[in-house]
Amino acid sequence: MNDTILEVVDASKHFAGLKAVNGVSFGVTRGEILGIAGPNGSGKSTLFNLITGVPFGPTSGEIRFQGQRIDRWPAHRIARAGLARTFQKDAEFPDLTADETLLICGTYNGQLGRVAARTRSDEVLGLVGFADTRRGIPSRNLSVYEKKQLMIASGLMSRPAVLMLDEPASGLTKPEIENLDRLLVAVNASGVTVLLIEHVLSLLLSISQRLIVLNQGSVLAEGNPAEVVRNEAVITAYLGGRKQ
Amino acid sequence: MTRNNLLLLALFVVLAFVPQIFTDGYVRHLFIIAFIYAIIASNWNLSLGHCGIFNFGHMTFFGIGVYTAAILTKTAGVNPWLAIPACAVTAAISAVIMAAPVARLKGIYVVLVTFAVNQLMVQLVLSQADLTGGAKGLVRLPFLTIGDYSFIRDYKLGYYYLALILLALSTAFLILVAGSPFGKSLKAVRDAEDYATARGISVARTRISVLVLSAIFTGIAGGFYTVYLRVASPEVFGFGTMSLVLSMVLIGGINSVLGPVIAALALTFASEAMAGIGGFEDARYIVIAVAMILVLRLAPGGLIQILERLAPTGQKPATPTRSPA
Ligand SMILES: Nc1ncnc2c1ncn2[C@@H]1O[C@H](COP(=O)(O)OP(=O)(O)OP(=O)(O)O)[C@@H](O)[C@H]1O
Ligand SMILES: [Mg+2]
Repeated sequence: MNDTILEVVDASKHFAGLKAVNGVSFGVTRGEILGIAGPNGSGKSTLFNLITGVPFGPTSGEIRFQGQRIDRWPAHRIARAGLARTFQKDAEFPDLTADETLLICGTYNGQLGRVAARTRSDEVLGLVGFADTRRGIPSRNLSVYEKKQLMIASGLMSRPAVLMLDEPASGLTKPEIENLDRLLVAVNASGVTVLLIEHVLSLLLSISQRLIVLNQGSVLAEGNPAEVVRNEAVITAYLGGRKQ
Repeated sequence: MTRNNLLLLALFVVLAFVPQIFTDGYVRHLFIIAFIYAIIASNWNLSLGHCGIFNFGHMTFFGIGVYTAAILTKTAGVNPWLAIPACAVTAAISAVIMAAPVARLKGIYVVLVTFAVNQLMVQLVLSQADLTGGAKGLVRLPFLTIGDYSFIRDYKLGYYYLALILLALSTAFLILVAGSPFGKSLKAVRDAEDYATARGISVARTRISVLVLSAIFTGIAGGFYTVYLRVASPEVFGFGTMSLVLSMVLIGGINSVLGPVIAALALTFASEAMAGIGGFEDARYIVIAVAMILVLRLAPGGLIQILERLAPTGQKPATPTRSPA
């Protein structure tokens, strides 16, 4: 049994000369929480984009997921195969309520019927702690935290193998971040592999089992989180990145 | 059942009694035309409003219906009762062809391509004069009959009810589509393409499907229109009809099924009333355009939104700015 669930092999994404992601390789072990850090503009979100194909795949390199090459698949197929991601910016379907959002995610991502989708909606909303009284409200009127909860819940509808979160803690209060922390641990405990991009280092350090640091599109350091953050190069990159 | 659906039901009940009140052929004719516009507008709204596709080729589906029915009945001698449903098929096929390039394009390019398809159809109709009658069109199509009964009798009573039934079927179809997970996914694709894709929704497939679905009753309406008027002419692809129907969609409210239906009824009669005022024949289009701009400025959700403000219920409306029917 191969326990590398996701493999990124020499992946690059170039924008007209700008090497946003440049020859990145790493593997993700089934069941782990892998943290991804790096200064602003280091290519973290772009890395998520090219893995999930939303909105683009890699310029070169390979992405393997559960033994299959997925880097030329249409993005919706990658999602259906079990890679669920969230977005750094607020994302919602403004006209749809939480229930409607989860219904379509269950239908298209999970091939669930209405009844099964409803049951699963109850589960995932309970898991993320979304208030029942808010389920019938159009998403445009939800709070930032509620939108984030819903975005994670919608990703979980299809019981994905991997959940990829892009800075889920940004804009949240301290208690909300603590809830998020507990939620991610619970999701991981249920067997979901978690990839977590985060600027809030405390969250990364408290829950990730392994940490990758990107700098200028390349992997700068990789390994045990506590050790990685003491790495000279990492400290320089972070401080240098802030001063720019 | 939502309040909007109840409103619709009430509307259809009233419309069913209209022929008892208006016994002359002329008023009934206006209603028949209004019903046809209502079908075109509300189906156009499915792609334009619900899915956000700037489809300016919707009249193509109507025109395809017109010429399918005209050619089948006049040239091939097919019974109109068979020719009208056949229009659903040909319109749907034309939608697949148009959707292929549109599925992956964005914004202004969609406008250009769909508009070009529409112009292409005009050229096709004009150039294939042997089949289509060219600029003169096809005239004196066979009457619609049941046994010995011709629908032209009793001051168009038969046509009135057939048009009303088609509008009812089309509306039921649209409500069903809009309420389904597919219908919800249209709004997801319209408002957050990347998020929708990341949740397993194929944007291209959604766009193709919605164009095909919006073509079905539009094609049937075209078939019925030509069988009713007994002529087919290239004007059906024209800019005039298109802008009138577009104003029905926009004034009615792009997020609902009910809005465009009501706007089609209102605008058909308003436009006809203005045409009756001497020297106003052309000015009426300006009036409609101004009305459209006013509605878009004051109530971007359209008439349906104004209606909802006037008749508040205990329940809070589903959306403050726009409301699905
Ligand atoms: N669609 C795009 N077109 C052009 N350049 C892009 C695009 N997306 C990202 N970039 C550039 O690629 C680089 C990496 O961006 P990316 O968003 O991946 O960084 P990040 O690590 O997620 O940063 P942050 O912490 O600010 O979210 C940046 O220089 C960015 O400007
Ligand atoms: Mg980012």
